[in-house]
Amino acid sequence: MKKKTIGKIAFEIFMVILALIYIYPIILVILNSFKTNRDLMLNVLGLPNKWIMSNYIYVWNYMDYSRLFLNNVVVTLIGTAGIVLFSSMAAYILSRKKTKLSWLIYLFCIGPMLVPFQTIMITLLKSARIIGLTNSDWGLGIQYWGFGIPMAVFLFTGFMSSIPKEIDESAMVDGASTIRVFFSIIFPLLKTITSTVIVLDVMWIWNDFLLPLLMVDSQSDTRTLTLAAYSFVGTFVTDWQYSMAALVLAVLPSILFFIFMQKNIVKGVTAGAVKG
Amino acid sequence: MKSKILIGRRTLDRIDYAVFVIPAILFVTIQMYIPFIMSMYYSLTDWNGISPNPKFIGMTNFLQIFQGDTGFNSALILTFKYTVLFVIITNIFGVLLAIALDRQLKSGNILRALFFLPYIMSLVVVGFVWKFILVQGFDSLGKATNIGFFKMSWLGTPHLAFVSIVIVSIWQGVGFYMVIYLAGLQAVPKDLLEAATIDGANAVKKFFGVTLPMLMPSVTICVFLSLTNAIKLYDIIVSLTAAGPAGQTASITYDIYREEFQNNNYGYGTAKALILFVIVAVLTIVQVTFFRSKEVDA
Repeated sequence: MKKKTIGKIAFEIFMVILALIYIYPIILVILNSFKTNRDLMLNVLGLPNKWIMSNYIYVWNYMDYSRLFLNNVVVTLIGTAGIVLFSSMAAYILSRKKTKLSWLIYLFCIGPMLVPFQTIMITLLKSARIIGLTNSDWGLGIQYWGFGIPMAVFLFTGFMSSIPKEIDESAMVDGASTIRVFFSIIFPLLKTITSTVIVLDVMWIWNDFLLPLLMVDSQSDTRTLTLAAYSFVGTFVTDWQYSMAALVLAVLPSILFFIFMQKNIVKGVTAGAVKG
Repeated sequence: MKSKILIGRRTLDRIDYAVFVIPAILFVTIQMYIPFIMSMYYSLTDWNGISPNPKFIGMTNFLQIFQGDTGFNSALILTFKYTVLFVIITNIFGVLLAIALDRQLKSGNILRALFFLPYIMSLVVVGFVWKFILVQGFDSLGKATNIGFFKMSWLGTPHLAFVSIVIVSIWQGVGFYMVIYLAGLQAVPKDLLEAATIDGANAVKKFFGVTLPMLMPSVTICVFLSLTNAIKLYDIIVSLTAAGPAGQTASITYDIYREEFQNNNYGYGTAKALILFVIVAVLTIVQVTFFRSKEVDA
């Protein structure tokens, strides 16, 4: 019995050390973001000789961080809201009215999951310019609707079958319109799958690189966090201390989001993977 | 009178139906179908972004690619090697981590979070983090420990740069697969494992005899997810190696980007992009049919 507890403790210690080695790169980046250039060059692995905040102040101002943060929020919010709204609406009617037409529309909506982004990127850039969705964050947010709807329609439709038809039928008999039934009765019942879709889409849109690069990179006031981090590190090639601070600032929102939403994220990722 | 109401109701239903499905159809059409059809057309032209009227050249682009495009071929080989390594290693580590963390540990929740943490970071940032580690960090470690491993040029030679891409991708993604496997492990009956222990089975036997068979649904999901993700490898390369040294660590997606935006061969690049589409589509359809047949079995 005693041998077993010792083994268990040893195993736990082993796993803790393994985990610390695993995230050591992140720790190292954080530590080096508080060093002076000289300190960083001479002493990469250790603690800072003197903890300084000036890298952060410099990067914050240079990048116009609050602006970037706001841009990311706008893009992610518009993108996710549209995907959730339009996909849940389509999934509702498609799974309630099971006709041949519905089946065809369903296939039409989920079909694009087969298309890799690179296949359409250059013609998309052309067409997005014509419609006027480039060079603005709201335009970028709207562009995510078309990309996110296929997967979301798929997930929502899968979930709809678990909601008994009687619920909306009885409300319909009472004379409520389809739109009212959907928003006041059905949509709240979709909470589980809605949070899955939100988690997956927020993580994807917040961190996305190539679509923002093509659509909003030309002006500095529409850039997203990932784009700014990318161009920043490219500009300050030898000033690692600034790059470190920029990288920390770029991932800080994701890390905070993760800390506060950990349960939802893990649940969402699992549900999305298993159903997808 | 009655029939009038019925017709009214039906028209109303049609309007409702339209209101609910048209936004989804519209945005998918604008973002995916129209650019896709345009891509099919432009892949048959010599479009270079400058001339206003690209010339229709039939299958010339495709023929040229199949007759041997050095950039595309090496990107294809690299992506294939990467995919095989990524799928195998991530899934092995994912299963092992999941089994290790499925035990009742005091720090279990924190440990899971730490292994999952890299997955929530943007891939571009992850690439830069590791560029710093592989350049500055390893340099210091090499000087401090005098171990040859740290003194190698991890981003400077094509072979090692490729290995670095694989390692960094696995580091970023393994937590995601761990989480799916952890969920899958809940389906493994604990009493079956206990029975096996009483029968004298050791850990390895228990794993292959009980755990792995019960875990197979998760394995299928994870293998296919990692497969489709691996084929689209792009972001990490952008920040970690920028396809270097000398453009030798380009993936298919990177090669398409390079062809279109650096060489301005829009038409030719689009043809490459359509070949990528065929590869991904075939793999996805195989995957879906596979899942379907599994569902019938169960």
